[in-house]
Amino acid sequence: MATRDADAAVRMRGVRVALSGVTVLSDINAFFVQAGINALIGPNGAGKTTLLKAMLGLTPFSGHVEFAPDESGRMPRAAYVPQRLDFDRGSPITVTDLLCADRQRRPLFLGASHRAAAQAHEKLRLVGADRLARLPLGKLSGGEFQRVLLALALLGDPRLLLLDEPVAGIDMVGEQLFCDLLVQLRVTQRMTIVIVSHDQSFVTQHADHVVCINDGVVQCEGNPSKTLTPDNIRRVFGDHIVLYDHGPHGHAHAHCDEQHGCGHSHADSHGHLHSHSAVPQEPNQA
Amino acid sequence: MMEAALWLFDAVISGLLTAIGALPFEAVEAGFIRRALLTVLLVAPVCGMVGVYVVNFRMAFFSDAISHSAFAGVALGFLAVSAGLAWVDPRLTLVALAIVVGLLITAAKRRTELGTDTIIGVAFAGVMALGIAIIRFDPRFQRDFASFLYGDVLTVDQADLRIALLLAICVSVFMTIAYNRLLLVGLNLDLARTRGVATRAYDYLFAVLVVLVVTATIRISGLLLVTALLVVPAATARNLARSAGQVLWYAAGAGVLAGVGGLVVSIGYNIAASAAIILIGVALFGLSLGFRADWGRSAR
Repeated sequence: MATRDADAAVRMRGVRVALSGVTVLSDINAFFVQAGINALIGPNGAGKTTLLKAMLGLTPFSGHVEFAPDESGRMPRAAYVPQRLDFDRGSPITVTDLLCADRQRRPLFLGASHRAAAQAHEKLRLVGADRLARLPLGKLSGGEFQRVLLALALLGDPRLLLLDEPVAGIDMVGEQLFCDLLVQLRVTQRMTIVIVSHDQSFVTQHADHVVCINDGVVQCEGNPSKTLTPDNIRRVFGDHIVLYDHGPHGHAHAHCDEQHGCGHSHADSHGHLHSHSAVPQEPNQA
Repeated sequence: MMEAALWLFDAVISGLLTAIGALPFEAVEAGFIRRALLTVLLVAPVCGMVGVYVVNFRMAFFSDAISHSAFAGVALGFLAVSAGLAWVDPRLTLVALAIVVGLLITAAKRRTELGTDTIIGVAFAGVMALGIAIIRFDPRFQRDFASFLYGDVLTVDQADLRIALLLAICVSVFMTIAYNRLLLVGLNLDLARTRGVATRAYDYLFAVLVVLVVTATIRISGLLLVTALLVVPAATARNLARSAGQVLWYAAGAGVLAGVGGLVVSIGYNIAASAAIILIGVALFGLSLGFRADWGRSAR
């Protein structure tokens, strides 16, 4: 997929965010392609989460965030999967409770509505979490909880899905599943996906567009295979970082076969950003 | 309009009192016991229901600060009366000051990065000091404070019953409308906002609801024990409930059980009703610990 500004689902112009007097984003100019997977990368503290929150209107900002209207000419529905959610694990809330609370007007203490329960079940099945439906949230593992949050986000069929490091701390199987699912959503539902990720192999193999931020500005953006050059990586992550791809698919490879989802195994081609690795490999030369 | 509402309220109250009077117990022949029982039946489940989210949002300390602001609120009322403002009712100044304090705490919590417990601690100190300052100002006020400190459900009058009925209606309506949204708010604010919940409105509305419940419940439990009436049944319910829907019913049930049981014990053994109610509530919580089965994983 070409990453031209004209395909943009979201366009940010001169976005600036200051939190408690500290400038987190100073001047963000970026775009995110329609019906594509957009990866947002950058070192810790670069402002990736803040950028997502500005896009969602969760944090005050100056500048412009423009959304391409959806099929019906309205502002596209956006959904959010937050990063590592801190919540009260002792609360007697089941997975179904959470999803039904979002969908139904009738208070949960008067019972679940059939429609809400059916919608909840459909989304849970989509993310492979239907067997978790009756479990309390506090009993879920990190990966299971992320999948439930994704199911919640998918309720109401959003056009724009924002995910903040959804696979951080998730095992290989969970990560593979998550990745397959995102590719599938992009293809079948033409959903625009913006994902904060530290997983370099995911970005190079599945993203259609990558936006790299550091020091409050966009350092580079574009097609991953053209954008993630050693020079750019150094600009974003600093001198002591090199891309290190320890799998068999270390070559430039922008995205996988859409028909088959993630056609590779994450278990053996797992690229990460390592600080100062021993054997620097030429990363993703276009 | 106002008169019609009052007439309706009084009709409902006298109907309920008649129903209680028909119970096959000798004690309900006394009017004050019928009124006490009705008050408990109206207020205890309400406390339990609201308590579910007081526990979820960790607002026990907030509730304590609000109940202790009653000191200053009542003192201000007495001060106003002695200054010649005869129309001022200390019960109203109590509610008014508590609402102001509740809104200030909520606003400070939202607008500063101070810990919520720090903000409440400051507010708590401020209202207590204000109350003590006014009491010292005129020792005549002091004797009237005992009923606010310890409560006395056996002396409730028609006005108290009307307030209890109004409270029960307000809380039932609010919980029916807001229950699901509050569940999302309790999980995560940002997430709730992206799901279309007006989190700021719910923050303030729930704070005001807690203020109203606390100030109305002081009449029963006294300001020292009012938080217990909110927290203890809800804590019991968390041990027993297996879903977000069940927890409200268990909390209301635990509240009623403790309230009625406490009233019976207090009449039978001549101990303070508020203390008896809380003690039974705590005993129920102890029992509920035994039922806290390791549900979830085993239920797959």
